[in-house]
Amino acid sequence: MELLGILIISALAATLSLIPAGKRFGPVVTLIASLAVFLLSLRIALATITGGEVVAARDWLSCDSFSALILLLVSFVGLAAAIFSWGYIGATVEATEDRKIRRYYSRFNLFMFSMLAVAIFSHLALVWIAVELTTLLSVFLVSFESTPEALEAAWKYVMLTCMGAALALFGILLLYWGMSLAAPQAAFTWAGLIAASPKMSPAILYTAFLFILIGFGTKVGIVPMHTWLPDAHSQAPSPICALLSGVETTTVLYCIMRLLPMFPGSAASYAGTWFIIFGLISAGLAAFLLIQAKDYKRLFAFSTVEHMGIILVGAGLGSFSAHFGTMLQIVSHSITKSLCFFAAGATLMATGTRNISAIRGLIRISPLAGIFMMVGGLGIAGAPPFAVFLSEFSILKAGIMNGQYLVIGLLALFLVVAFFGIMYQINRMVFGSAEIVMMDERGLLFGRSIIPKRNILPLTCIIALVVTIIPVILFGIYLPEQLYQLLYHAAASLGRM
Amino acid sequence: MSEPDLLFSFLSKLNALAGGVFLLSAFGLVAIRQMLTCLRLYVFQSLLLAISALILGYHYGSIHLFVVAGLTIISKVLVIPWLLRHTVGYESYAKREISQVINIPASLLIALGITILSYYIAGPLVTAAGAGVFESINLPIGMASLILGAFTVTVRREAVPQVLGILAMENGAFFAGVSIAPTLPFIAELAAAFAVLIIALVMGLLTMKIRKTLGKTAVGELIALKED
Amino acid sequence: MSHRIIFNVMQVITVMAFAPLIKGILTRLKENVQSKRGPSAFQPYRDIWKLFHKDEVVSEHCSWIFRLTPFVVFITPIFVTLLIPVLTDYPLFFAFMGDMLGGGFILALGGFFATLAAIDTGNPYGPMGASRTRMVGFLAEPVFMIVFFTVSFIAGSTIPYIVQKHWVTPLANFFEPSHILMLLAFLMLIIAETGRIPVDNPSGHFELAMIDESKGLEYSGRGAALMKWGGAMKFFVLCCIFLNVLVAPWGLAHGTTYGEVLLAVPLILIKIIIFVLVLVAIESSLAKLRLFRITEFLGAAFATSVAAMITGLFFM
Repeated sequence: MELLGILIISALAATLSLIPAGKRFGPVVTLIASLAVFLLSLRIALATITGGEVVAARDWLSCDSFSALILLLVSFVGLAAAIFSWGYIGATVEATEDRKIRRYYSRFNLFMFSMLAVAIFSHLALVWIAVELTTLLSVFLVSFESTPEALEAAWKYVMLTCMGAALALFGILLLYWGMSLAAPQAAFTWAGLIAASPKMSPAILYTAFLFILIGFGTKVGIVPMHTWLPDAHSQAPSPICALLSGVETTTVLYCIMRLLPMFPGSAASYAGTWFIIFGLISAGLAAFLLIQAKDYKRLFAFSTVEHMGIILVGAGLGSFSAHFGTMLQIVSHSITKSLCFFAAGATLMATGTRNISAIRGLIRISPLAGIFMMVGGLGIAGAPPFAVFLSEFSILKAGIMNGQYLVIGLLALFLVVAFFGIMYQINRMVFGSAEIVMMDERGLLFGRSIIPKRNILPLTCIIALVVTIIPVILFGIYLPEQLYQLLYHAAASLGRM
Repeated sequence: MSEPDLLFSFLSKLNALAGGVFLLSAFGLVAIRQMLTCLRLYVFQSLLLAISALILGYHYGSIHLFVVAGLTIISKVLVIPWLLRHTVGYESYAKREISQVINIPASLLIALGITILSYYIAGPLVTAAGAGVFESINLPIGMASLILGAFTVTVRREAVPQVLGILAMENGAFFAGVSIAPTLPFIAELAAAFAVLIIALVMGLLTMKIRKTLGKTAVGELIALKED
Repeated sequence: MSHRIIFNVMQVITVMAFAPLIKGILTRLKENVQSKRGPSAFQPYRDIWKLFHKDEVVSEHCSWIFRLTPFVVFITPIFVTLLIPVLTDYPLFFAFMGDMLGGGFILALGGFFATLAAIDTGNPYGPMGASRTRMVGFLAEPVFMIVFFTVSFIAGSTIPYIVQKHWVTPLANFFEPSHILMLLAFLMLIIAETGRIPVDNPSGHFELAMIDESKGLEYSGRGAALMKWGGAMKFFVLCCIFLNVLVAPWGLAHGTTYGEVLLAVPLILIKIIIFVLVLVAIESSLAKLRLFRITEFLGAAFATSVAAMITGLFFM
């Protein structure tokens, strides 16, 4: 029942936000809806800790521990983004354009609806539709600011992800065919597929897997299909970037990872090898690309590509401890990335430019933005004592214990490169004397610099930042018992235990 | 020859014919220079998909496929072209020439290579599943149309042919799907058709926005965000 | 046995006699569609008769090729007539002398000599038209080859008489996708080879834009008559190949009596006139392509023929 409730609440909030009932109405409705959804997801997650399933309609809507984990992450980041949006949109959009504001909130709720639906639906065809909807309902959020760059980013986004979705549709139809030949009466859900997979013809299974990997991989941002990601994730407004980078790519990655148990065997299995190859290529290319990023939101977007690669490698390694590390990495990445983008939004509000070389001494321009940017950068680069460090370390340790030295060696190398890349850029921005250098459109130094006046961050933005930073620090040191159980069961669902 | 055999042979040949012309229209989307003709070609392709769904529905006795055929006609033959024409605006269609990244004979040759590749991939699948005559036609042609649609998006520089390329990819996936997944539940088919409609709507609106802001729909020329 | 030789001769006479008529009907129908009156359908006969009675003027710079070419252009379609089904659907006496590839090469021989003759005279417009004809020719060659290969592979033979049976014995074979695609490709090929719109304008007088007409520019008297007649026969022969082998192999005589074979003559004429109607419809509704677009047109024909080959091969 809670599952249906979640879907209905988001949809309802989307329609209600369109009502022109004052400036505060949209944000408040969104906030209440996000809070309700978060509480419901928390309940569902607690219910699946014992390894059971929450079922609303058998074979159509159900949640096991892995999907409950994703549901929890989506709703948490959604809540934080809703809080942040209140202040951010209030500060950046003129009060007279309230139609634009209302549309923002209704699209925000629809986007949340689609991402929640991906985790809740268990029939594969519906999952595909939900994934397609996550793209379609977020296109206009990406192009919200209607600049030519935003439109270009939105166009590339919709084109490439729809191409990927069509490829994945083909793969899903192939899976249905294989399953109807092997086990005609089984339900076309994740569980039904895993049960029927030993009997399916290997040619169909492998071909379908590749199509789905490449198709959904386009949405996740795996190299070489990642070209839309830096553009779309940097041109959108900051709370939307947090949603896109933090949880949207993760939900689609969840769909891909669900295919893993269909291939028996351990680390050398077919699917695992492909995961490792794509993951290493993504992590490597992203690590080198982010060194030359000129825009700090693009920097974080490249970091998303890198982390998606790390998660894929972790899933491909095959052992249970690697899977556990992967689940932990999913959690820590989502939360830390949303913190990064909230900090980026705060920086944008304080300085008015996205250019890294234009900003010096952020910590003096706006101390809050500076601190959060620093913490976010350290967190996402994988420094201790933050959550990402713990999860990356678990994955590396699991790989070494399993004997996959080459993979771990390459992964560690890419992590180090990315660490230095991110820290170098962030340090340039945060420390130094406070000034903003004026640049012309080509990003060349103009020579003039101004000392900006202090901008006060809206209160809700600060609340959102604090809400997000607490788990980032907390999970690096201590993992609550229920969360541990949830991750344990989620990791178990990836392998054949 | 007994009656059912004759009918079966006739239906299978008719389905194969629909498949062959389907493939040809996928080539046409890559090669034709006028935008309005491309749109009409897409409508023709969707019609062929509906015909194939009807033939297969009759053969398998599955009402799902009849519904699919009906949905295809309503959404792809009637609604989507109307949507695309009215959201994008008529002036965009009046242009005769679409610019391309590579010239037309070369892209036709690559399209042929793609078709051969998809037959090569689909061949083992069909024999592995021991499939009948319908799958052996629909699956390779559907896969070819899928990859050709992706190729169209890469090659064309204008917004509307790129949108048509994506819609052609969906057409190809469904063309393969009607033969290999004839019993997919109703709600999935309905929702998938709806999704395609929303795709067309979203892309049409975005194209309109691009045209209003930038004055033209040559999206291939938007390169402000490329890496140095 | 002697019947077969006689029928073969009757085929040749049919082609020789009725080719100008078909050309005349084509021209008149085109004019009618454009709401003009048009010349009489028998005008080409009068033209050929008139030209035979005129003096021939030959430039002193040309060689034996110029004098030989009208005969070559006249005779090659006759040779091809011996090989293809025109009136009967069983092989005749000379039918195994060459297969479809051989017939294609013989027609190409005629075109080759015509091109050489156009260059021979030293007229500036001749080589221009000749090079364009060659361009269209070499772009059309792959299409010819692939269509012939596909047809032969599917039907299991290269003799046209055997191939034509394949499309009609189970009627459902007509609707095979490879068949329909091949029809399309061959139609585009006929348009290119015979110089109709959209590849070339057959009634244009502007030498700078001529592709196919330029080969007959320099001839007069008997040479011009032979070139005209030979050109008309080539068109008739190509139509016969297209219709009798690929499209509609019906209405051909089964038996060996004179009556049946004579009956086949008006039937083949009716078939060709229907095809002429289709051609007129195509010609009147399209515009002539610019020269560099012809590569795209023939590229599309090539893609269609390869698609026919792929669907035909894999469907088997």
